[in-house]
Amino acid sequence: MAQLKVRVWGSVALFIFAVAGCAPSTASKPDTGSAAGADASKSQAGGVQSGATREGATTPGSLDALQKGQSAAAGPLKDVFFDFDRYDLQAAARATLKENADWLKKNPSARVEIEGHCDERGTNEYNLALGAKRAQAAKDYLATLGIAGNRLSTISYGEEIPVCKQQSEDCWRQNRRARFVVIPSRPAS
Amino acid sequence: MILKVVLMVLCLVGYPAFAGAQFKGEIVGQGGQKFPIAVSPLKNLGTVSDAAKLSEGIADTMAQDLDLSGWFKVLDRSAYIEHPQTTGITLGSFDFKNWSTIGAEGLVKGGFSVQGDEVTVELRLFDVYQNKERVGKRYAGKIKDYRRIAHKFVDEIINQFTGVPGIFNSRIAYVSTSGGRFKEIHVSHLDGSEKFQLTNNRTINLSPSWSPDGRAILYSSFKERAQTLFLFDLYSGKEIKFSPRAGRLLGGKIAPDGKTVAATLESGGNSNLYLLDLNGNVLRKLTEETGIAVSPSWSPDGQQLVYVSDRSGSPQIYVLNLASGKSRRLTYSGGYNTSPEWSPKGDMIVYTGRVGSRFTIFSINAEGGEARKLTSESSDSEDATWSPDGRFIAFSSNRGGRYQLYIMQAGGENQRRLTGSGGDDTKPSWSPRLD
Repeated sequence: MAQLKVRVWGSVALFIFAVAGCAPSTASKPDTGSAAGADASKSQAGGVQSGATREGATTPGSLDALQKGQSAAAGPLKDVFFDFDRYDLQAAARATLKENADWLKKNPSARVEIEGHCDERGTNEYNLALGAKRAQAAKDYLATLGIAGNRLSTISYGEEIPVCKQQSEDCWRQNRRARFVVIPSRPAS
Repeated sequence: MILKVVLMVLCLVGYPAFAGAQFKGEIVGQGGQKFPIAVSPLKNLGTVSDAAKLSEGIADTMAQDLDLSGWFKVLDRSAYIEHPQTTGITLGSFDFKNWSTIGAEGLVKGGFSVQGDEVTVELRLFDVYQNKERVGKRYAGKIKDYRRIAHKFVDEIINQFTGVPGIFNSRIAYVSTSGGRFKEIHVSHLDGSEKFQLTNNRTINLSPSWSPDGRAILYSSFKERAQTLFLFDLYSGKEIKFSPRAGRLLGGKIAPDGKTVAATLESGGNSNLYLLDLNGNVLRKLTEETGIAVSPSWSPDGQQLVYVSDRSGSPQIYVLNLASGKSRRLTYSGGYNTSPEWSPKGDMIVYTGRVGSRFTIFSINAEGGEARKLTSESSDSEDATWSPDGRFIAFSSNRGGRYQLYIMQAGGENQRRLTGSGGDDTKPSWSPRLD
């Protein structure tokens, strides 16, 4: 900050009776004591597609698990991992996706939601976009392996639902993943 | 639930007040130090006893604000010679020597009277050196809103010194875990008072930002499973859900004219900037990325957006000219630059950049040039937001362990902690000036 010293206590003394411009202003304010303004009238959301199972293997979604206070349990499909700030598929990731594709071929009625996740580093909104890229990369590769796109959906949780919570590279590596949630298949139509 | 509160602000009628004195300059005490100021407890001018402890409560609030600004040294009350209840509060009814003796160059005195649940407060700023009154104001409002009156007078004190009012009658919206596992939106004054929780849906709520008139908060939420934006009106309590068919909304900011929203919309894995109306309908697509474009922030004239793109292979800051549709790259140093916010004055942009393995706050001229690092890389600092006058920046940092909100002057000076919820407090968004 510049060392410009200004004695602002000037002796300007334009005395006026300060009436002009001083009409009482009225403003309404949000109540400060109330909680939950935005959700006060809403029932609990979420859980719509929670682990309720109609047949065989399903996997709890990460948000459902978070709401229940559980860690997201592994399902029949394996996670795929990514480098920091990357969404390209390494050889190991492609090999895992091949295994997942094989399972999906053996379970042709199963539908999968692919979750994109990031480690905690960086900012939330960028990581939400990065997670979407990771989920889409996994979906696209499964499509090249012959899995129909209408069996696969994507969602990004960015850095918001880490599976490992320590601040270490080993932990961050586990969080940079695409996770595969087997959801109940649609009723036959 | 929304209650209506009336806060009347009256200039002192029948008292002389200064007008037309427009000074521009820095606030500096003798020898370039912080300006030493005394804030006397207020005199009870009424007949009702001070059950709400307004005498010290109002003085304490003003002292906290003056201290938080970083410009003032508030002199310790234990050194004050005069008794606030037995000396006067107007020029000539107290002795300036009692204040110059303890080193005060400025003095705030005032009085109040209580009637029912309402209070009338008179506050005056004096120049101890020149034995003069600088400004006087009278306020009337509910007793429970006394802090707002104190904030208003501090804003006026700063106006007297700099020609621009202070920002203590503003709020910060932010994301907090409050020690739990969910992320909810909270709103609070800078001093932590009048804090309330905006969401309570037990999911993940992110990226709060204010409408330019301070009436509404836009935020993103997973509360209906698929992430999208919600616009909550603080006055009516009504909420609008944005449901664009084109994809999922990751975040957004309301335009300076309050009529549109710049939002990040993800579709098929690609994130792009879109212009939406206030109901969430797509007006037009603003970027054509095959990768990531996120985190738009408006220039104050509404002609440009600063945002993040990874088109160079790493996230960098770009500026989009809305009329031409062309973008220019703003940041060239560092391999990870995100979360920009355009200053209300229009000249500067703050953002989060990676230094080594840490994240720090940078500022850069909106036209480009060298970025200036404002926080230390000994911890992480993220998500900077400008005060409505552009003289302060709030941000989130884990320097004390968990993420908490901090405030600093725009050049990085005087970094102070604002919150300590026991959880992680992140994603601050500073409101415009409020009544």
